[in-house]
Amino acid sequence: MSRYMPLSFALASFIALASTSDALAHCFVGARFFPATLATDDPCVADEMSLPTVSWSKTADMPPASEWDISVDLSKRITENFGVSIGQNWTQIRQPDGTLTSGFQNLETAFQYQVVKDRSQELAVLAGLVVDWGHTGSTGSGLATTYSQVTPTLYFGKGFGELPESLSWARPFALTGQVGYQIPTNSFDFTQSVFIPQQLVYGASLQYSMPYLKSEVIDLQLPDFFNHLIPIVELTLTTPVANNFGNPYTTTGTVNPGVIWVGSYFQIGLEAMIPINRESGSGVGVIGQLHLYLDDMFPTTVGQPLFGGSSAAPRKLTF
Amino acid sequence: MRILTFAISALLIVTAAATAEAHAFLDHAEPRVGSTVPTAPRELVLSYTQNLEPAFSSVEVKDANGARVDLGKPSISAGVMRVGLKPLPPGTYRVRWQVLSVDTHTTEGSFTFRVGQ
Repeated sequence: MSRYMPLSFALASFIALASTSDALAHCFVGARFFPATLATDDPCVADEMSLPTVSWSKTADMPPASEWDISVDLSKRITENFGVSIGQNWTQIRQPDGTLTSGFQNLETAFQYQVVKDRSQELAVLAGLVVDWGHTGSTGSGLATTYSQVTPTLYFGKGFGELPESLSWARPFALTGQVGYQIPTNSFDFTQSVFIPQQLVYGASLQYSMPYLKSEVIDLQLPDFFNHLIPIVELTLTTPVANNFGNPYTTTGTVNPGVIWVGSYFQIGLEAMIPINRESGSGVGVIGQLHLYLDDMFPTTVGQPLFGGSSAAPRKLTF
Repeated sequence: MRILTFAISALLIVTAAATAEAHAFLDHAEPRVGSTVPTAPRELVLSYTQNLEPAFSSVEVKDANGARVDLGKPSISAGVMRVGLKPLPPGTYRVRWQVLSVDTHTTEGSFTFRVGQ
């Protein structure tokens, strides 16, 4: 542990000191706030950190093994509309006979650009390139690959705030989603003698914002705790689409019903993970996440883009 | 182990943020969001979760025909914004607000309330 501690402190110090410009926030689009989702990604570049995301599930093996995943993700805006995120996932798999396999998966980075942020339509669109870097994890344990994977991805988020008055109860709904095409840098895995498929990686979330209900539609004077909740259902799927010779083109994934509690500086999310079929897992898993809003916690330092922020006084707000 | 050291470092940063400010959310309004009040209110009061920058925060109230019914410049103290209202006949009114919290985060929103219906 001491070997890495100086590096971690150095990184933390650099992040704290490096950004000095002025800018805005996490995923606000007009009156809509899109929370960070647990299984998919929200449609905004942001200064945020998931610390940690923890999940437990049973694998699709027969008999199934227990799998723990613990991950950390850091997202940082470089400019107002361009951001980079970096994530590391540690996995432990316990077989029914007690055999343990553990280690890091490959390091994942994402480069994202905010294409659209339309306040009046509560619409956000984000284009990104996700890269899993080969040879950066525990390749010896089989938890990481020796090859990299590149996934061009499009993300979107749309609030239902434009619904007519007769459907005002539905305005707190929002839909987010992402579609990516995953391309491995190798087409054949010689160690396992299998083709490495290109895959469609996609998902969506349907969420109902109690904060939006309270501030935009009707204040029901509920206990404050409930006014911070966003019930959510996430869907995350993977489908092989090419270079999958000899293997079934089976879609795998999970449906994740859960809830996110949103505060001023952080959010906490908890979801069940229900496999969509036998190939996706055995039984119901669970995922939880503590997510920090760095732009709110450190508004004058880490919470601002590295470049391109305005140091001038904020503009006069007009309608 | 790397995750653990990363987590510890990050938590050290987090705990150092003792005086941070955040986005200003609308905590409550009077008249309440989406409510119906029997008599016309003389002012609209919006209370936020953070202190506001008066120079960059504003509110307007319009009737069903789109005519302004507020008395103009709001008064702002800490996290509370008030604006006077003209005598309001029964009807539906829309409030639109935009505020800047003291750490330069902007938020906005709108809602309706009804008088005497």
